[in-house]
Amino acid sequence: MSRKALIVVLLIAAMSLLAACGGGGEREGGPIKVGAIFDLSGPTSDVGTPYAEGIRGYVEWLNANGGLDGREIELVWEDYAYEVPRAEQLYTQFVQEGVVAFQGWGTGDTEALRGKIAEDKLPFMSASYSHVLGDPNEAPYNFLVGTSYSHQFFIVLDWIKEDWASKGNADAPKVAFMHHPSPFGLSPWEQGGKEYAANNGIEAEAYEMPRGAPDFTAELSRIEDSGAKYVVFQTVSTPAALAIKNARSLGMDDVTFICLNWCSDEVLVTQAGDAAEGVIGSFPFTPPSIDVPGLKDPADFLASKGESLEAKGVHYGQGWWTMAIMTEGIRKTLADGKEVTGENIKAALESLRDFDTGGVTAPITFTPDDHRGSKGMRLFIVRNGQWEQLTDFLTAK
Amino acid sequence: MESGVFFTTYEADMALRRTPVQKIRLALFIVFVLVFPFFASPYWLNLANQIAIATIGAIGLNILVGYTGQISLGQGAFMAVGAYSAGLLTARMGLPFYLSIPIACLITALVGVVFGIPSLRLKGLYLAIATLAAQEIVEWTITHWPQLTGGTEALVIPSPMLFGVRLNTDFRFYWILLLAAGGTALFTANLFRTRVGRAFVAIRDQDIAAEVIGVNVFFYKLLAFATSSFFVGLAGALTAHYRTIISWERFTIETSILYLAMIIIGGLGTINGSFFGAAFMTLLPAMISNISRALRDVAPILATLLPAAQQGIFGAVIILFLVLEPEGLAKLWRNIKDYFYVWPFSY
Repeated sequence: MSRKALIVVLLIAAMSLLAACGGGGEREGGPIKVGAIFDLSGPTSDVGTPYAEGIRGYVEWLNANGGLDGREIELVWEDYAYEVPRAEQLYTQFVQEGVVAFQGWGTGDTEALRGKIAEDKLPFMSASYSHVLGDPNEAPYNFLVGTSYSHQFFIVLDWIKEDWASKGNADAPKVAFMHHPSPFGLSPWEQGGKEYAANNGIEAEAYEMPRGAPDFTAELSRIEDSGAKYVVFQTVSTPAALAIKNARSLGMDDVTFICLNWCSDEVLVTQAGDAAEGVIGSFPFTPPSIDVPGLKDPADFLASKGESLEAKGVHYGQGWWTMAIMTEGIRKTLADGKEVTGENIKAALESLRDFDTGGVTAPITFTPDDHRGSKGMRLFIVRNGQWEQLTDFLTAK
Repeated sequence: MESGVFFTTYEADMALRRTPVQKIRLALFIVFVLVFPFFASPYWLNLANQIAIATIGAIGLNILVGYTGQISLGQGAFMAVGAYSAGLLTARMGLPFYLSIPIACLITALVGVVFGIPSLRLKGLYLAIATLAAQEIVEWTITHWPQLTGGTEALVIPSPMLFGVRLNTDFRFYWILLLAAGGTALFTANLFRTRVGRAFVAIRDQDIAAEVIGVNVFFYKLLAFATSSFFVGLAGALTAHYRTIISWERFTIETSILYLAMIIIGGLGTINGSFFGAAFMTLLPAMISNISRALRDVAPILATLLPAAQQGIFGAVIILFLVLEPEGLAKLWRNIKDYFYVWPFSY
């Protein structure tokens, strides 16, 4: 390519950028715009892709079934590859295009946009279930659909205490909390977990899993020396699978491994193989292996496209129902005869009481003082390479 | 007919803008940036603000890498120091932003000097690794010193206030950024007309020769680290006050590499190159995402591939520039000017 050609390419690029930008507001009776950013190509795209497909699938299904009293929802979305600056750019762009609510994805973008959404008064849901985001004093426009990481940790600690006692032990159980080196990883520990363990007679200690570590032998040896018989993971599937394999090869066979929701999925079982047997996982959302009414629509919708919910995994239903709950807020706003604005949707969501997701999550309740919609989750266990249900919904005390 | 630009006085030769055309262009550019925000949508203002911050950071890095020839992979770390200093001074001690920003710049300059010390003994690749260590040390300190920085939690900073006005919109913050970026560019342009700036360039071109002609290499290297870090810290501090929520994840090694790419694509050792590079690297992803949205209905497969290909496109662009125009966008800009200057008789 000559220099002139390079100049031409740059000019075309600049023009297409200009052409692609255009404004637009909400029209009366027109589609209701909801913004969304997905990770389809970044570091969390393995779970981000089915989650995104779930959200998009729900919108497509809803519109095909008449929308909200004839009004369609238009999802304005783009891949942001888990890059915070891109998330901010897209957010500004979508707000300008007139979105009334927003679907985010990870901890990074949710934290970065927390202040902006409060300024712009846009209800925001994402797959980051950090406890603090459910506190309207801290984050007035964030809504948690999944069980907060802290609540999941509390429930797991309760379960450990019972399990330890049921094995005939009289002393306090020892728990190792292994976490991703990020706000996401530390969130359940810092936001109440440490105190909860201490107040409930559990000896818990936190171990950081260094980024990109080829193995976790050093951390696991320290855990072995400490005598902890339970390891709770707050990380994503790949490092958790690696640590579980490491532990098995170190001969830590009497240790029970428990994953909070972001490593409780099909990926963990595939990657850890035999070592995954007996691993326990926390499931705020019901995986497709369990037959619940709430997964019928997504399963039928996918079947009509020649795909299957089993192949998409647990995150599809998670995305589907996150969007469904947001839509419920919009539906209520319309039913009350109010204008569809972020403020009104927030008020409508805050009036949601025991909203039934057909068994996919515990019933969802938002109040003006509490945006943690669900406080329950099930525990599952890996048997013969499959997640099997171990308990029904357990609730944080 | 003219065959070049000649001067009859030293004053004219030393001027920042030496020809009437240059002056007109600068005036047009100033008018443009002053008028732009009144017509631009929030999306474009957001992009403009990102470009302004990136320009300041790129000029800072260019002082060190482009002008003084000291390679640095610690850009992200120095931005983090600036951002956290400014953020903590405002959030914890209640300093107004116009005080916390200059203090943050000075703190970053100091930290820059400390991490610049290895440059006294190290060059090239070895220095790159030493600055990489700076990056890791700063990141580690931020995430493991929760009493000071809040650890891995995001740091929330109150919106900056000026004369009772909250600078919480892109439009209002634009003016702060414009002032900062303009000041940085003007200072740097003048810096390289002084003894200090020329000492930097002498060190880059041949450090032993520089020492022989009387440049105190150790002193000037550290001064280059301090000056560079000052502006990088400014970019960080402005990020903190502009975004009002920051976390360490914004300032990783990827940020360092992104800024190096900016100045390579823009043009090493030039100020307008820093601006071109910053604009290019900010607009390219925005453009890719807009194209992919536009293509979604027409060619869905292409649309899903495009965002995923972004990293690849970045890489390809850098290689293209290194091969075709190693002096970057700044040189390309000069070529365009030369083309019209000699038109229609290109020889």
